Amino acid sequence: MAEKFDNLEEHLEKFIENIRQLGIIVSDFQPSSQTGLNQKLNFMISGLQDIEKCRQQLHEINVPLEVFEYIDQGRNPQLYTKECLERALARNEQVKGKIDTMTKFKSLLISELGKVFPEEMSRYKAIHGEDAPS
Amino acid sequence: MDTCVMTEMFSTLYGQSEAQGPPGSSSLGFGPGKPPPPLPQNQAAMAGQLPPQLGDEGPALRKPGAMNEPFYLLRELPVGNELTGNTNLITHYNLEHAYNKFCGKKVKEKLSNFLPELPGMIDCPGTQDGSSLRSLIDKPPVCGNSFSPLTGALLTGFRLHTGPLPEQYRLMHIQPPKKKSKHKHKHHRPQDPLPQETPSDSDPKKKKKKRDDDPDRKKKKKDKKKKKNRHSPDHPGLAGSQPNSNSLR
Repeated sequence: MAEKFDNLEEHLEKFIENIRQLGIIVSDFQPSSQTGLNQKLNFMISGLQDIEKCRQQLHEINVPLEVFEYIDQGRNPQLYTKECLERALARNEQVKGKIDTMTKFKSLLISELGKVFPEEMSRYKAIHGEDAPS
Repeated sequence: MDTCVMTEMFSTLYGQSEAQGPPGSSSLGFGPGKPPPPLPQNQAAMAGQLPPQLGDEGPALRKPGAMNEPFYLLRELPVGNELTGNTNLITHYNLEHAYNKFCGKKVKEKLSNFLPELPGMIDCPGTQDGSSLRSLIDKPPVCGNSFSPLTGALLTGFRLHTGPLPEQYRLMHIQPPKKKSKHKHKHHRPQDPLPQETPSDSDPKKKKKKRDDDPDRKKKKKDKKKKKNRHSPDHPGLAGSQPNSNSLR
């Protein structure tokens, strides 16, 4: 899995570097630069071909759309991962709190009902057992 | 008839011998601490059926699995799920390393911190220069055509004017000031922008990169040196050269 990304990353880096050099050539063009320019243009096309080949290996990869919003705003996409983890943990803690509260309420309710309706509660416990699943 | 059935039921429950029309409230017998006798099976079924006849909406709301003995509407408890919010899901899915990596230390805000080697001003919003990824989704480019190399005839379309670019187009290779990062990357960026006849300027082994102390400074120095050399009479590239006004053919 990581190899597919490494392969694509390598091709993208070469492509970007080629474009950067193309930009430098064009920024101050000289007649002797024409051959190099033509070469860079063809490198650009072959780079696109290589990237196109990588596409087939990655068709099953899904990227959340929210990450695109971060990138479009010029923000680090790792912030999205960070926020996802933080939200997951916060939600986990929230649900755990609810479960703990309900468990305490259940045991308190059973004990109080046992004081008021002892026979009924003993029949209830006989049906559901002493350690009823919560 | 409904009232008679109801009376009969109550009398069975609370010990009245005959059903004699609707009983008064005092005869219903809700004495303290006197549990009702258990209903026979058919009476229990009738008790289940009675509310619909009175127009109650009970049955529509009753869920399957509800038992009526020994307690009314006693349900089976749901099967417990092994994985609940009670478990630390970060640990369960082996994400502690990822959590410490992203949440343990400060993650830098800018995109250029994530992609330090990407040229250009990438921290600006993509909507400003039309380079947003969102626009790629909203208006996907034409795909499916093959990439074919440019032939000689097509390359004639890329003959350019000599000289520097106008100011407004010069921004592409300007990069924001980079801070020294802890990780050392090997950069193989040839400083000489002049074309070379040998193929492939970039090093195939790009995984190990070293970052120079000040790549921008070195690049600028080389650019200055190039300009100096160009103006000197000893420069081989300018043998017999006058500024050519080659038009874009």
